Amino acid sequence: MAERVFITGVGMITAIGDDVAGNLHSLRSQRSGLGYTEYIDTIYRQVLPVAEVKHPSESLFALAGVPVKEGYTRTTLLGLIAMQEALRDAGIEDVQSAPTGFINASTVGGMCDTEKVYFDIIDPEKTGTFLQYIDTLDCADCTQRIADIVGFSEHIATISTACSSSANALMFGARMIRQGMLPRMVCGGTEALTRFTLNGFNSLKNVDKQFCRPFDQQRTGLNLGEGAAYLVLESESFAKANNSRILAELSGYCNTNEAFHPTSPSPDGDGAYEAMKTALAMSGHSLEQVEYINVHGTATLNNDVSEGKALERLFGDKVPLFSSTKPFTGHTLAAAGAIEAIYSILAIRHGLIFPNLNFSEKMEELSVTPVTQLLEGYPVNNVISNSFGFGGNNASLVISKYEG
Amino acid sequence: MKGKCYIQGMAAISPQPTFEGDIFQAPLVHTDSNLLACIEPDYKPFIPGNSLRRMTRTLKMGLTAALKCIQDSGISSPGPIITGTGKGSLQDTEKFIKEIVEYKETALNPTPFIQSTYNSVNGLIALQQKCTAYNNTFVHRGFSFENALLDSIMMIQEGASHTLTGAFEEITQEHFYIKSRIGCWKSAPVNSQDVYQQLSPGTIAGEGATFFTLTDAATPQSYAAISGFRMLYKPSEEKLATTLRNFSQSADLVICGRNGDSNHEHYYEVMDACFPGVPQLPFKHLCGEYDTAGAFGLWLGAWILKAQQLPASWFPMQEQLTAPVHSILFYNHFFGEQHVMLQLERV
Repeated sequence: MAERVFITGVGMITAIGDDVAGNLHSLRSQRSGLGYTEYIDTIYRQVLPVAEVKHPSESLFALAGVPVKEGYTRTTLLGLIAMQEALRDAGIEDVQSAPTGFINASTVGGMCDTEKVYFDIIDPEKTGTFLQYIDTLDCADCTQRIADIVGFSEHIATISTACSSSANALMFGARMIRQGMLPRMVCGGTEALTRFTLNGFNSLKNVDKQFCRPFDQQRTGLNLGEGAAYLVLESESFAKANNSRILAELSGYCNTNEAFHPTSPSPDGDGAYEAMKTALAMSGHSLEQVEYINVHGTATLNNDVSEGKALERLFGDKVPLFSSTKPFTGHTLAAAGAIEAIYSILAIRHGLIFPNLNFSEKMEELSVTPVTQLLEGYPVNNVISNSFGFGGNNASLVISKYEG
Repeated sequence: MKGKCYIQGMAAISPQPTFEGDIFQAPLVHTDSNLLACIEPDYKPFIPGNSLRRMTRTLKMGLTAALKCIQDSGISSPGPIITGTGKGSLQDTEKFIKEIVEYKETALNPTPFIQSTYNSVNGLIALQQKCTAYNNTFVHRGFSFENALLDSIMMIQEGASHTLTGAFEEITQEHFYIKSRIGCWKSAPVNSQDVYQQLSPGTIAGEGATFFTLTDAATPQSYAAISGFRMLYKPSEEKLATTLRNFSQSADLVICGRNGDSNHEHYYEVMDACFPGVPQLPFKHLCGEYDTAGAFGLWLGAWILKAQQLPASWFPMQEQLTAPVHSILFYNHFFGEQHVMLQLERV
């Protein structure tokens, strides 16, 4: 019998807060992080809203507790800030105190910084300190810089499955624990806004010029965001022996591919249905025991129809309370799965259901609507958190209250 | 690692004629450009023409190697699809970065953006095969393919009967230049077949797409068994030596990633000291250096275990095998950071 996997520490930074407490405060005060970019050089600066972390990269060095140095991208710095909080929160002073793995997730690595110097890098006439950004072109750079500063020397990996990346990082870490490979893993993702990604999604015509409106009839697309989040996972036996404070249990998960289209989900939500159903079955909980679903809810035309249909197929006329928190944080791509996993823990621990901001009109294809008001004192025992991505990569996590 | 898994099918697109025909009769392809580029196969038997036109090199190589591997395995459904790539489709990334500037962020074609996504090859394989099983992509330099392998082994431990596990990488002229600026490649042209004799800073670049069908049980068709596996991140020489010694005591052949790079040769010297007198086959003169070159090395080792002979033209420095090879120790590292050891056994 494989061991249960517990979450014993969390850390994050997003547009709505520099740490978990800051995020919780903004969620409770229903304060969105959406606005306009200060730091990306784009013609869409005043046109396409984004949820940007409200610090220039220079200030992130101080928050991350490292001296200002070339080669540290915004992706790395955001990740480092979230990582240090997660370790502190789990009471880990030295990651070497027990064998600990690190599974990171990223969609474009250090693109946020490399896109600013790329044309110098390929110009033989130019030379300078920008050459130190060459290594940051890939996704492993941020992982290794974080690992080297924090001191991870056991297993490290970086996953990139588009918008489901950090959900898959959590799953991979949990599986390594259940296989008995390592007793403790730190898993999550980091994502910085880039002109590359903004133009990518805009070229697909699925970025909203207004603040995004998930599950609304009038929605026209997503808003991008940035941030990072990590969760400390421990095996049950390690957590007990270590006397760790247990925040919640990662009780179920599923990764499935929809095999429908390179960028679009199927209209009936086959992948979303399968991911949620299988993850819930693994958790051992029934449909009735799910109190809240933190949906992927990007507010693109296709996602919300597909995901909504999947909810109706799985839960019939008893769809649990659900909301998308992307109007708070924007769509943070590789970081989204981990950020929303932490929100799911907050929902359980504080008895909260977060509102789906900017909703006003029911979608004609669906009979369900998201929660629009903050609910406090609401008992939450089991949450499904969804992350669906390009390439048909679908992932669902089930996070459950720890009963002792 | 617990238990074993078996290589039931495989396929490689590489700078050598590995995709079709008898590799044991194949000539050695070499170059003095410091860049070993893949011999691309005819994609038409694998990919419909209308899809082919939109796809860039990495996607074509990755998808085609995967499909050929599925054919070779004789298992029609691929099951979990797990890959590794250090850089994904560089050609698409480069194109999209430039078009953003060229077209001033307006009226951009989304195709390069979509194809630059690291999991696009995985998505294509799943789509083409209508495969809804587990699907994952690792993007971690010299641990990209290896994490895909670890994930696959875990899948098999968890009950999957087989997985489709692979790696793909391309090198573009632009990326070759970029990496030359931080000293990855040798500064003077070197004939690839002499790369081990030319010990100097840097190595030669390469690329490839390699896929495996891994199974939980051996069959008469199995190429080899993978019976041991370790990854070490930035180890000290002492830790490397201890781990190598504890890892394998029975190897009768060593396959290693030696590449003539004097900056990191010392790790291979540690390996030499751990396996004195065991015949050694380096493979980077065949495929060049790249993030997922380890997959090519595994492909080579599996062939040797199954065929019990060496591709003679590829290893003129090595006499033919005089004794049966039962166990291979594979050791590779990527620019000194990610170190990998595998134990392969004859089935």
